Amino acid sequence: MAHFLEIEHVSKSFGLNGSGGIHVIDDISIQVEEGEVVVFLGPSGCGKSTLMRMVGGLETPTSGRIILEGKEVTGPDRQKGMVFQSYSSFPWLKVIDNVRFGLRFRSDLASAEKDRIARHYLQMVGLAEFEDYWINRISGGMRQRVAIARTFAAGPNILLMDEPFGALDAQNREFLQLQLRDLCLKERRTVIFVTHDVEEAVFLADRIFVFSARPAKILEEIAIRDLLPPTRDLKLRESETFFKLRNRILGLTRTQALRSEQIEVKGA
Amino acid sequence: MPAGWKSLLSFRGPERRGTTLVLGFISFVIVLVLWWLAAALKFLPPQYLPSPGAVVVRLYQLFVQYGFLGDIGISIFRVWTAFLLSALMAIPLGIMMSSFPIVNGMSQSLIDFIRYLPVPALVPLTIIWLGIGESSKIALLWLGTFFQLVLLVADDARRVPREYIEIGLTTGAKPRQILRSIVLPAMLPSMVDNLRITLGWCWTYLIIAEIVAADSGIGYVIMSARRYVKTDEVMAGILAIGIIGLATDQAIRWLHRRWFVYMT
Repeated sequence: MAHFLEIEHVSKSFGLNGSGGIHVIDDISIQVEEGEVVVFLGPSGCGKSTLMRMVGGLETPTSGRIILEGKEVTGPDRQKGMVFQSYSSFPWLKVIDNVRFGLRFRSDLASAEKDRIARHYLQMVGLAEFEDYWINRISGGMRQRVAIARTFAAGPNILLMDEPFGALDAQNREFLQLQLRDLCLKERRTVIFVTHDVEEAVFLADRIFVFSARPAKILEEIAIRDLLPPTRDLKLRESETFFKLRNRILGLTRTQALRSEQIEVKGA
Repeated sequence: MPAGWKSLLSFRGPERRGTTLVLGFISFVIVLVLWWLAAALKFLPPQYLPSPGAVVVRLYQLFVQYGFLGDIGISIFRVWTAFLLSALMAIPLGIMMSSFPIVNGMSQSLIDFIRYLPVPALVPLTIIWLGIGESSKIALLWLGTFFQLVLLVADDARRVPREYIEIGLTTGAKPRQILRSIVLPAMLPSMVDNLRITLGWCWTYLIIAEIVAADSGIGYVIMSARRYVKTDEVMAGILAIGIIGLATDQAIRWLHRRWFVYMT
């Protein structure tokens, strides 16, 4: 049976023509099912974002291919929504118009319908009363919620999130993780979430792929959904299972982070 | 001393609009007083340094007796025609340069070459080609600003964060739609700033154009006053340019604040 998303033997190198080519991703194969929240976890600069960007059609694999719903990914489109860590929403649009932007280029929807959908998702992220605010007047966490609402509103088949909470403080991040997990459960949308934060990965994921340092390989696949309940709350973070999972993965990533540092130093 | 004034001395302290305006006014007054003192104490003979009063009187006479308003009008007309022409051509080309490697490759070095040519060096050419009418002056101003402005606009467009473009790509926008709905609004604030600065250059080149060959305009008035060593008239002309420049600049800054409220 075909999978929802298939990453088949994908490798990626940058600037191979010269001598200083960088081998970023080394023959990775991953299958993702519809409605899953999958987390790519790995040290900074390991290539996990690059792999996700290839799923989004924003980069092309050097070899291998990516198949989404039976069709090979060749470029970006509305079916693959993105949430970025910074510059995630437009300062010249008010909050509601940022969310509505996700539907802007859809000619099949009436304006009133676009309004309704935008309001709905703004409500879902709890920002209904901020719809008339400028982006620069709301907090960083709220901006990320606006970006998430925009991406959900656009109705993509898959949501790609590139460390969306990376720049937030710990309290804000916990709250947004909770909200995002809730939203994913309600919406049953397929999500790939990239992070280097182990607790974030465990809390959000149905499955985690732990990446090695560059060139990235999959060190281990962890089926969190078999170990934790689908509905997650803050108490879960203090549970024995969560703690053990976290420690085990930390052990895995610690050696990789070190290797990653050494690569950086050698590269410099 | 009120608390607000103390912060004026603090390193990288906050700036308040009200106090900034007052300070700007104070520095004008200081210069004016120094000028007046220098003239009153006769440091230099009046042919070299007329008093501020004499200059203002001369400016008034220029207006009522010599139809100076017409000269100001024609100068403003030249500046704005050339400026709008430059802007209307530079904005699309600059954006295209940032969007398509072929446009950038074809124009970058050519523009850099022309950009380094000093505008006065082009005066003879514009006169040979276009005579001494309005078109040669506007052409000169255009030459002086267009090539600079293209590069500034292209840079403004390039500085639009990659993320913004990718939000467009992943919401199904086509390149045209990305340019219209994302690149243009994202680059607009810095582009308006660059346009304001370019407008200032237009005035610089205008005087060159009008000094070389003209029978009207502020530059012409200044030049003919110089011939008869009417220093007060020269300074009246300079004063007029300064006032127009200051007023335009402040007007554009005001529009900038109104249009781009979302930035604060």
